[in-house]
Amino acid sequence: MATDNSDPTAEYRRNQSWLYDSKTGGYVRKTAIGLLTLVIGVFVLFPLYWMVATAFKTTAEIQQIPPTVFPENPSFEGFRLVIESSIQAGGYAGLVNDLLGITVTSAIDINLLALIVNSLKVAVGAGLIAVILGTGASYVLSRREFRGKNLLMSLLLASLMFPGTAIMVPEWELISTLGLFNTHLALILIYGAMTAPFVVWLMKGFFDDFPDSIIEASQIDQCTPFETFWYVLVPMARNSLIASFIFAFLLAWNELVFALTLLDNSKFTVPPGLLTFVQGFNTQWNVVAAASIIVSIPVLAGLAYIQRYFVQGLTGGAIKG
Amino acid sequence: MTHLELDSVKKVFGDPEKEGVVAVNDLDIDVPDGDFLVLLGPSGCGKTTTLRMIGGLEDPTEGEVRFDGTVVNDVKARNRDVAMVFQDFALYPHMTVRENLGFGLRRENNDMTDAEINERVTEVAEMLEIEELLNNKPAQLSGGQKQRVALGRAIIREPRLFLFDEPLANLDAKLRKTMRTEIDELQSEVGITSAYVTHNQEEAMTIADKIAILDDGELQQLGTPDQVFNEPANLFVAQFVGSPDMNLFEGALSERTDSYRIEMDVASFDIPKRLVDTEIDTQDVLVGFRPQDLYQARTRATDGPDFETQVRVVEPVGTEAIVHGTSALGDVTAKVGRFHDLEPDDQMELTIAPEHIYLFDPTTESLLKGRLVTERAEGGASADSVEA
Repeated sequence: MATDNSDPTAEYRRNQSWLYDSKTGGYVRKTAIGLLTLVIGVFVLFPLYWMVATAFKTTAEIQQIPPTVFPENPSFEGFRLVIESSIQAGGYAGLVNDLLGITVTSAIDINLLALIVNSLKVAVGAGLIAVILGTGASYVLSRREFRGKNLLMSLLLASLMFPGTAIMVPEWELISTLGLFNTHLALILIYGAMTAPFVVWLMKGFFDDFPDSIIEASQIDQCTPFETFWYVLVPMARNSLIASFIFAFLLAWNELVFALTLLDNSKFTVPPGLLTFVQGFNTQWNVVAAASIIVSIPVLAGLAYIQRYFVQGLTGGAIKG
Repeated sequence: MTHLELDSVKKVFGDPEKEGVVAVNDLDIDVPDGDFLVLLGPSGCGKTTTLRMIGGLEDPTEGEVRFDGTVVNDVKARNRDVAMVFQDFALYPHMTVRENLGFGLRRENNDMTDAEINERVTEVAEMLEIEELLNNKPAQLSGGQKQRVALGRAIIREPRLFLFDEPLANLDAKLRKTMRTEIDELQSEVGITSAYVTHNQEEAMTIADKIAILDDGELQQLGTPDQVFNEPANLFVAQFVGSPDMNLFEGALSERTDSYRIEMDVASFDIPKRLVDTEIDTQDVLVGFRPQDLYQARTRATDGPDFETQVRVVEPVGTEAIVHGTSALGDVTAKVGRFHDLEPDDQMELTIAPEHIYLFDPTTESLLKGRLVTERAEGGASADSVEA
């Protein structure tokens, strides 16, 4: 097809465009994509940065107008106050005085460690409930045919669309009737129930793609249904189970409204606990920020370790069973 | 060591009262202890469903499955003590080869210690030559290696029955032949009654003691490989077994004193009555020639019909060639020697011995006369040389 006097490669160039097939075009594309990524990155990460920056500022600098982007006189004042408060509220002041000879007195009376322990208790409990109930339910919904199955799935999906606060009042009544007011069990049950439907949908994707022949092979290998579930399905579902657990865990870890209404000061989890640092005009924002950083550390460390499975688990059903 | 019987077994998927799909209908099969049964048929003929009913993975809608005379219909798969090799191998992906092999033994109630299980695993791995792979996960194995592990998982337990569900379908052609021989050898060695599902007639012919040919859920014939090849019960079996496909032509039949006269468009011939077991009382017949039984008239003379064929395509397969041609009878496929001088558009004259000719009733499609092996001349075709 090439005309006789032209470059023989011209024919291959007919479909070329400057943006995609020239070197400069490539640089332009990469720069544009890079800039866009940067803008989105700043948009997403700036609040986190602001929290960290605030934690290292003094109260005076925080109230300065215009605000400073970098702490001018980095100080650990916020962290010191949080730790002192925790030591005092936790009843360790005497111990610290005896051991280190430091007298700890604090105007704030909040034990961060207790908050973290409370939150862990609630979040692990809720995670376990959601994973155990959700996995069992999704296994049945995926493997058995029965009337009303689609309705049930739709109901579970619909329950995810309700904001939690919409069912605040009935939940409150329910918890009162059960006599569980101001107990962590109340929160475990509520968070577990809130996240289980999501776990059902996530795990159903996994079980739908699960090859029948492996289950049949285990039956031929003389497994009871429970043994099949325990030795074959659960190990293979590990990533999805971890993803489900993390989802439920994070929701419980971050939930504020139920925790604030159903518990009192003595049993607070992290979110309402942090809120007590906020005290009207008197709020020491560097303390709030420092406390926030400290409470995120255990979760961040855990997630960093486990996030590989989390991503695999979430995409597992979609890409390969 | 099990005598397997299927007695009027029927399987209907969906509601039997309404629009249930009949997968298997009224199936009677009897497999003596230690025999190798192959269930053969086209896709959707119910062969896998039959195997799954033997294994306990499906419940028969009607009829009985018996192991050594005991009805096992209500015995669950895990209690039947059968071993199965699946088409996709179904290895446990999260376990190493060693764990895959040992899993069945561990689940079994057999008081074996870990050391004994390990010893048995090593033994089986050596037998299948996969001992270097014991610590690998299935994802790291090639198709043939996975196949061996799946086989190993089946034989490690010494079950009552081996069930194979198209175990070679996912392997390449060469490996398929090797593994076929290995499975056959292995089964003869351990002597455990086996049922094997395949749609590949070549595989079935080579491996089976008995072949059950199914079509549309119905048993067409149960017999040895020789029987189904030489005396196919009906037209379906005749066409399904053997490769290349049988040539079929219409003919008219008339009875003489000691022979039957067959008139075809271009050729007429006599079949002596001593070659025919059954009484033939129909005028129309379908005449079948196996491509392997056709000879070029220039190489061998027979008492049967000769007919001119115009060569269309020559497909050499080593010492012989499959020749597709057009004759006055219709399209003809023949497997002949001395093919090097044959070119498309050449004329050749084909002939066939009367004892090799098949006759079918065109209305009932049942066999009137089969191929007589005893009278077969030298070499030629036998069940052993059937190729896919």
